[in-house]
Amino acid sequence: MYARAIITLAAAVMLTACYESTDVTVHKPGVYKGARDPLLAKQRAPEQQQTLRERFALVQPDR
Amino acid sequence: MKLIRKKAAEVSSSRSRFAGEAIDRRTFLRRSGLALGGAAVATTLPPLMMRKAQASMTAPKAGVDTKLVKSVCTHCAVGCGVYAEVQNGVWTGQEPAFDHPFSLGAHCAKGASVREHGHGERRLKYPTKLVGGKWQKVSWDEAINEIGDKMLEIRKTSGPDSVYWLGSAKFSNEQSYLFRKFYAMWGSNNGDHQARICHSTTVAGVANTWGYGAMTNSMNDMRHSKAIMIVGGNPTEAHPVSMQHMFYAKERGAKLIVVEPRFTRTAAHADHYVRIRPGTDVAITWGMLWHIFENGWEDKEFINQRVWGMDQIREEVAKWTPAEVEKVTGADEATVKEAARLMAENRPSTHVWCMGGTQHTIGNNNTRSYCVLQLALGNMGTSGGGTNIFRGHDNVQGATDMCVLSHSLPGYYGLSAGAWKHWSRVWDVDYDWVQSRFDQGSYEKSKGKPVKPMNTKGFPVSRWIDGVLEDKANIAQKDNLRAMVFWGHAPNSQTRGLEMKKAMEKLDLLVIIDPYPTASAVMHDRSDGVYLLPAATQFETYGSVTASNRNLQWRDKVIEPLFESLPDQTIMYKFAKKLGFAEQFTKHIKVNDDEPLIEDATREFNRGMWTIGYTGQSPERLKAHQKNWHTFNPNTLQAEGGPVDGEYYGLPWPCWGTPEMKHPGTPILYDTSKPVAKGGLNFRARFGVERNGESLLADGSYPVGNEIGDGHPEFSDKLLKELGWWDDLSADEQAAAEGRNWKTDLSGGIQRVAIKHGCAPFGNARARAVVWTFPDPVPIHREPLYTSRYDLVAKYPTYEDRKSHYRLPVRYASIQAKDYSKEYPLILTSGRLVEYEGGGDESRSNPWLAELQQEMFAEINPADANDHGIKDGQQIWVEGAEGARLKVMALVTRRVAKGVVWLPFHFAGHLQGEDRRAKYPSGADPFVLGEAANTALTYGYDSVTQMQESKCSLCKIERA
Amino acid sequence: MARMKFLCDAERCIECNACVTACKNEHEVPWGVNRRRVVVLNDGVPGEKSISVACMHCTDAPCAAVCPVDCFYTTDDGIVLHDKDLCIGCGYCFYACPFGAPQYPQQSAFGVRGKMDKCTFCAGGPTADNSDAEYAKYGRNRIAEGKLPLCAEMCSTKALLAGDGDLVADIYRQRVIRRGGRPQTWGWETAYQS
Repeated sequence: MYARAIITLAAAVMLTACYESTDVTVHKPGVYKGARDPLLAKQRAPEQQQTLRERFALVQPDR
Repeated sequence: MKLIRKKAAEVSSSRSRFAGEAIDRRTFLRRSGLALGGAAVATTLPPLMMRKAQASMTAPKAGVDTKLVKSVCTHCAVGCGVYAEVQNGVWTGQEPAFDHPFSLGAHCAKGASVREHGHGERRLKYPTKLVGGKWQKVSWDEAINEIGDKMLEIRKTSGPDSVYWLGSAKFSNEQSYLFRKFYAMWGSNNGDHQARICHSTTVAGVANTWGYGAMTNSMNDMRHSKAIMIVGGNPTEAHPVSMQHMFYAKERGAKLIVVEPRFTRTAAHADHYVRIRPGTDVAITWGMLWHIFENGWEDKEFINQRVWGMDQIREEVAKWTPAEVEKVTGADEATVKEAARLMAENRPSTHVWCMGGTQHTIGNNNTRSYCVLQLALGNMGTSGGGTNIFRGHDNVQGATDMCVLSHSLPGYYGLSAGAWKHWSRVWDVDYDWVQSRFDQGSYEKSKGKPVKPMNTKGFPVSRWIDGVLEDKANIAQKDNLRAMVFWGHAPNSQTRGLEMKKAMEKLDLLVIIDPYPTASAVMHDRSDGVYLLPAATQFETYGSVTASNRNLQWRDKVIEPLFESLPDQTIMYKFAKKLGFAEQFTKHIKVNDDEPLIEDATREFNRGMWTIGYTGQSPERLKAHQKNWHTFNPNTLQAEGGPVDGEYYGLPWPCWGTPEMKHPGTPILYDTSKPVAKGGLNFRARFGVERNGESLLADGSYPVGNEIGDGHPEFSDKLLKELGWWDDLSADEQAAAEGRNWKTDLSGGIQRVAIKHGCAPFGNARARAVVWTFPDPVPIHREPLYTSRYDLVAKYPTYEDRKSHYRLPVRYASIQAKDYSKEYPLILTSGRLVEYEGGGDESRSNPWLAELQQEMFAEINPADANDHGIKDGQQIWVEGAEGARLKVMALVTRRVAKGVVWLPFHFAGHLQGEDRRAKYPSGADPFVLGEAANTALTYGYDSVTQMQESKCSLCKIERA
Repeated sequence: MARMKFLCDAERCIECNACVTACKNEHEVPWGVNRRRVVVLNDGVPGEKSISVACMHCTDAPCAAVCPVDCFYTTDDGIVLHDKDLCIGCGYCFYACPFGAPQYPQQSAFGVRGKMDKCTFCAGGPTADNSDAEYAKYGRNRIAEGKLPLCAEMCSTKALLAGDGDLVADIYRQRVIRRGGRPQTWGWETAYQS
């Protein structure tokens, strides 16, 4: 397979030879092809988010 | 989102190839080609490191009930809480003990990996003996019988003193207590443990200054400090979780001062760093005190009321002018003055010290000088102040208190006839029987009178090798040592490795009782007469453990003993049976299937240890504290609400009187701002009531509620009668207290009544800045035996040689007579790594830790490296001043000063360049082996406690 | 919705490696694979600092962008995870990652790469939560249990924090204010002179 890379256009390159390109390669992730993770649904539940906030307050406060 | 690939991360700039540039320890190891973790792609695993099958057995399983067990980390004495998750008897997970009052969920690398104890992959799995150079599996019964027969034979021909019982700071309090009782009933004082070589000079120095030889405050209490000075300690590696409390204080403005020869990771977090030459602790302390006196920063009222002998200190300190201090220590005037100023202007300030201060021929002088500094600043007995002496092993404080030592009985009662009679009463055995167990000869005199071995100090662990090797005519007992029992002790923590090898080979019998074979199994070339007996870890049994701050925590059993291992108390009982004193040994202790009941052992020491208040901590109270550890406030360690409301966590000793008296424990020693009944105290009247016509009692200083309202002597039946308080005792108490004092009244009545009237049972006296009973009453500087500054020897010479101390001759001047600094120009010192503990046999057998430190190394300064043509990462020879050679990797770093070589001491298994892995019983070799630093460390022992001098010797280096 | 983040406070990190061994312990990560490690700058000289590094769970994760098989996904609260059944162990994500987080357990002496392994924020992978299969492949799923990454929960000095980025930031901000916004460690002023 190939990396899905979209290269942004840069006109300046065409004009000068001795020019350090300021172009940047931008990669965009493709669409996830793996198995479904049941965690995703679980994390969306407000109760689960609340549980994690409470856990943080319990275990990692600055004491 | 744009992605811009940068050239290189900053990190790589620190990976310079040039010797002398900063290179971190891990990068260094990575480049050595051994560390597997650093590279993105892991290199080939040696077959021995494959552990897939093991892993799956201990993984948590879905849908299986999980039990949460509370325990305490078995590494250092911070005492971090452990939550173990157990499924069907398998230790499957570890959770942060976030509600534990000391650790608040935190762990260091070692604590975060204790679950590996439940894998025990490299454990010693069954009793094993060496036959014709091969390890052979034997049964427990066979092993106990064979060892026992041999010991009884030695006892017959050479006397009980020819067997050495080396115990452990890894024992629980109950096991420590039983062990001390065990070798008392065997009939010898030849027993000891790690405290001898870690804080013995602290215990002796501090106890002789103000009464008790322990940490006065606590790690948590440092939250209230305004300045923290650490001398000869590196808590970021040795006690990492304590840093949590120090950062708490620091972020609120406290100043952190580090005085150390080495720029440690702790120093990297300090506000002020003072680099000194190893072995110049007294000089630097007096140097600071010079500025304190010069500027009038001392607490005059405190000194007038509560200190004796400060004038004599002033005379000595006056000699330590800034110029002299710089000459001896290397620290300049401005640096020293700044340290003194920070301590003086930011009170309460606390003083922390560790092995860097204690392990010297003048260790007791060092520790006393630290105490004097704190007395001069009036920092004692106050929250945020104190001497916070960090103890090493998880229960080294407890094992010390139980006096698994060669010079005392539990509770520091000593070895006098009175002490033996006290403990015979507690044990409920006939004193004459106890006496009859000992050698009846006499080999030394005290005040002109012959004394018996029962009343003389046994060999210290630091010198057991001399007990074997020294000419019989020069030792103060019947015969040399012939059998050695290493019961939870790594030999590589002691100096003079090559002589130890010789001693091990000369013994008739060598017994190692430990969860791991330890270096004792492999460092000698014996072919027979070695037994390895697998002991259970503290996670496989239960009982109490005393953390550095004197508090007792109860551990529950996490899992059953793995393989064929047995808990120490069971092994002790089996031996007691074999050796013929089981009945007396467990007279009031229930025995189930050869296992003495732990709670009964707790209750028994509760009945006897009045001196230091180990009497109030019943198993029931300790279990209640463990169950409710979440109710204690981490800032005060006091329970707020709940079933143990108002008590201090773990009932820090002294927890006076009987458990029924419900004393809350003493969180801060000598704190007069609280009544004694609520944990207040004053300095102990331990050294009489007057000296040279001057009163030693406190003057106008006393704890809140003290009805005498001034200093007073320690309590006895007579004093109670004089004060008219005798009738406060019940009739039963009166009967028990008649003719007794606060230390020997088994009813606890004397203590109860004293405290009822607001008085400390041990009296109310001044701290003594001058210990007239010690070789150097005023702490003075003396050059190390092997000194790099021979020019200073004339002015600061060591002691004269001594004929007999702890049954052995001790050399001082005869060694210092020769100048070794020409042939061995570099100072050799040692220290700790965060991943390993002690001799390291256990932690190097834990793959999660071993992976992080795979190579023994020596830190050398770039200048010394260049002088010797050594490049970073090369193998070098480090040769100690007595000729032992270590082959290690060079780590070139500015962390050490020019002229100093530093070694971590946790490695073993290599000897003078030879890898001895093949000598381990198969499957029980630690993942990582290396040269033991102490092989190259040299002779030298403290003048009071026989602590070894392992923090300053000499060496030379060359490319291998 | 929270954004899950790690933060390592370099003023507090003491390079004790608790985070590293906690991770090993929790997930029984084999020898040679380190989902987390501690990096030190200026080792042994004034200005020495250490910081604990693992997968930072980037919002716009470069590993996901370059993955040729598209095995990465991100939870709504920002945890970057991947499917090991899909992963081909090509190592492209290692090129892309600014932190060197992806790890490849080696399967033989000659460098055949295994499937990529990295920090999961203790959130397992795309299998049934807290199942034996998930544990074997990705390690324990603490998030599903309502807990947070063990490395942070066990940090010796609370230098490493993990959780909702807003909560983490609150704690850090308070600390910075308390410290007066500047490090006070010895030699700081002179750290760059030698």
